[in-house]
Amino acid sequence: MDFDFSDDQQQLRDAVRRWVDKGYTFGRRRAIVAAGGFERAAYGELAELGLTALTVPEAHGGLGQGAIDAMVVMEELGRGIVLEPLAQAFVTAGVLAQYAPQELQAAWLPRIASGEVLVVLAQQERKARYRLDVCEAKAVVAPNGYAITAIKNIVSAGDQADAFIVPAQLDGQIALFLVERAAADVSTRGYGTQDGSRAADLQLASTPATLITTDGLAALELAVHTAIAAACAYAVGVMDQTCAVTFDYLNQRRQFGVAIASFQALRHRAADMKMQLELARSMSYYASLKLGAPAEERRRALSHAKVQLGQSMRFVGQQAVQLSGGIGVTDEYIVSHYFKTLTQLEMSWGDTLHHLGEVSARMQEQAGVFA
Amino acid sequence: MDLAFTPEEQAFRQEVRAWVRANLPPAMAHKVHNALRLTRDDLQGWARILGKKGWLAFGWPKEFGGPGWTAVQKHLFEEECAMAGAPRIIPFGPVMVAPVIMAYGTPEQQKRFLPGIADGSVWWSQGYSEPGSGSDLASVKTRAERVGDKYIVNGQKTWTTLGQHGDWMFNLVRTSNEGKPQTGISFLLLDMKSPGVTVRPIKLLDGECEVNEVFFDNVEVPADQLIGQENKGWTYAKHLLSHERTNIADVNRAKRELERLKRIARAEGLWDDQRFRDQIALLEVDIVALEMLVLRVLSMEKSGKNPLDIAGLLKIKGSEIQQRYAELMMLAAGPYALPLIQEAMDAGWQGLFPGGTLANAPLASTYFNMRKTTIYGGSNEVQRNIVAQTILG
Repeated sequence: MDFDFSDDQQQLRDAVRRWVDKGYTFGRRRAIVAAGGFERAAYGELAELGLTALTVPEAHGGLGQGAIDAMVVMEELGRGIVLEPLAQAFVTAGVLAQYAPQELQAAWLPRIASGEVLVVLAQQERKARYRLDVCEAKAVVAPNGYAITAIKNIVSAGDQADAFIVPAQLDGQIALFLVERAAADVSTRGYGTQDGSRAADLQLASTPATLITTDGLAALELAVHTAIAAACAYAVGVMDQTCAVTFDYLNQRRQFGVAIASFQALRHRAADMKMQLELARSMSYYASLKLGAPAEERRRALSHAKVQLGQSMRFVGQQAVQLSGGIGVTDEYIVSHYFKTLTQLEMSWGDTLHHLGEVSARMQEQAGVFA
Repeated sequence: MDLAFTPEEQAFRQEVRAWVRANLPPAMAHKVHNALRLTRDDLQGWARILGKKGWLAFGWPKEFGGPGWTAVQKHLFEEECAMAGAPRIIPFGPVMVAPVIMAYGTPEQQKRFLPGIADGSVWWSQGYSEPGSGSDLASVKTRAERVGDKYIVNGQKTWTTLGQHGDWMFNLVRTSNEGKPQTGISFLLLDMKSPGVTVRPIKLLDGECEVNEVFFDNVEVPADQLIGQENKGWTYAKHLLSHERTNIADVNRAKRELERLKRIARAEGLWDDQRFRDQIALLEVDIVALEMLVLRVLSMEKSGKNPLDIAGLLKIKGSEIQQRYAELMMLAAGPYALPLIQEAMDAGWQGLFPGGTLANAPLASTYFNMRKTTIYGGSNEVQRNIVAQTILG
């Protein structure tokens, strides 16, 4: 039982933090949002730092690092509310490495690692809400593989991605496929989302696809769990920064002739924010530490984590705006951007109520970190 | 970063588990698992069993006869005891006053007092709070006046937990009115059987007398029962409060009580009631998150870092959780939590509890009793002040 970071992890953190502080300023981020919410050059800089390669196996040109290293990176990206979806590299590389046939791995993993391609998960369907087992997309056997017909929404950086990992029904069960953007009959419609990042609807009409695995639901679950752990870590970074900025503001802002940090009502609110931050950090660790656990244990743990993170994100976000006063609801002030990011994260990969339902349904007699 | 305990720590856990299983009287565990009334004999009986093994002094270093366990081992020991249904260790002797005597007492005082604490034969009480000193402890007024080789103590302590059983008592007393309130306080040990000591139980809202008023009327206390220097008692008290930070979260007991809540929910037909079950699920998330927070503090202590900024959160969250599980248990029983039959909370009662489910008898009383947790040990509002101090200055 040890929650210390290794020297390597500390160095990794420092390197990402330096890039965020110097290379991804609020001004640059604002320009990226205005230009659509995704910048290939910025994604390329993440690749140059070695981050797209982080969790790719060494055999495929990656660094072969684990969930905690990914967590460290995501925390730092969260501090800078970085828009480019590095988590998608962790998610899709993870699924390909664990489930795809060797030749498919060899074709894609080295290019994910180098940042040459961006591969994203395209799982959201209108009728599914947060359920992974609801999938209307259909796959059929075609002359050179498979053909998929599907409509997927809110696909991260969907009109910028080079390929998609798509769940679809095949012979009555969910299978996972890889669809190249360059394939025939792929159409995307991009748009911004509330946090300033970019997403797209993806429409496939008998589009050529390559099978990753017929064990699709299990693979999709692993992908989403990886995404949840990454979102939790990112959220911790956002909340860390939100709290720091807000607490600083309480000490700077003067009303009635004194710093508003002297008012007990506000001091207690700040203490409650700190509570939510630390509970969230604890459960973010928990999520990443449990990513390698057997499926049932992992499911429970990731849902526990997302419930805590969801509550923490909503509280910290809302209270940061409240404690900032009028400036908190302006576009100019960074806290409003933290708030929108936290809100979007709560509603990604299953919101608090969804995961509370999961925890509730899976409760056992015993509970606890080691249960 | 690693969630698993080391093989040595896991072996240690197994050793403790096996010993507790073999030595905890089943009748005691039955009472704890069902929140039935524990007598002085139960509490002291378990203390003596632990004392014989050398584990009542579980937090002590080897030089004072303790096992010299690490923070993690202490945590595992407490967890195994809690999950097995052991009565709580009454902390005033082994956990609270002993470290002060070790750090600031003379060798004679250590020789005189520590053995009786370690073997569970002497019951200690805490003399901190006064009618005018709740969370503001530095305002204590109980006077100790030096006359020759004695102190003459006059005044009143209150909220003295289980003081009706007490043999000895450690007190914060005022020996000077000079300077800041904190500077005139001394730390004095006192035999509760001394002439002039009166203990008066306070009946609480659950009908029990868990706390007491203790009056001092010209009580003579030999001067060699002063710990350290006169007027330095505040420093020693702070030392005491800095001990056992993770223990205050009581997460191990919370895990045991969550299991009990689930049993009650099943018995009351609520396990499949989604509205109620979600409330249990929320509590479960809270408990896992608190346990992770506790483990983080332990890990930091293990690697020599000061977890001050998060340790302050443990009492707040831990006490809120205690109140919540007590509340949910009561709500689970619904109207069948309402009958007040005091005898039904004693083990072995043969009567018929309304509705026929005896397990419901203590639920409302426990709920009422648990309101204390956010008040004592520095109210949660004071705790928030402390947290705010660390983050805002």
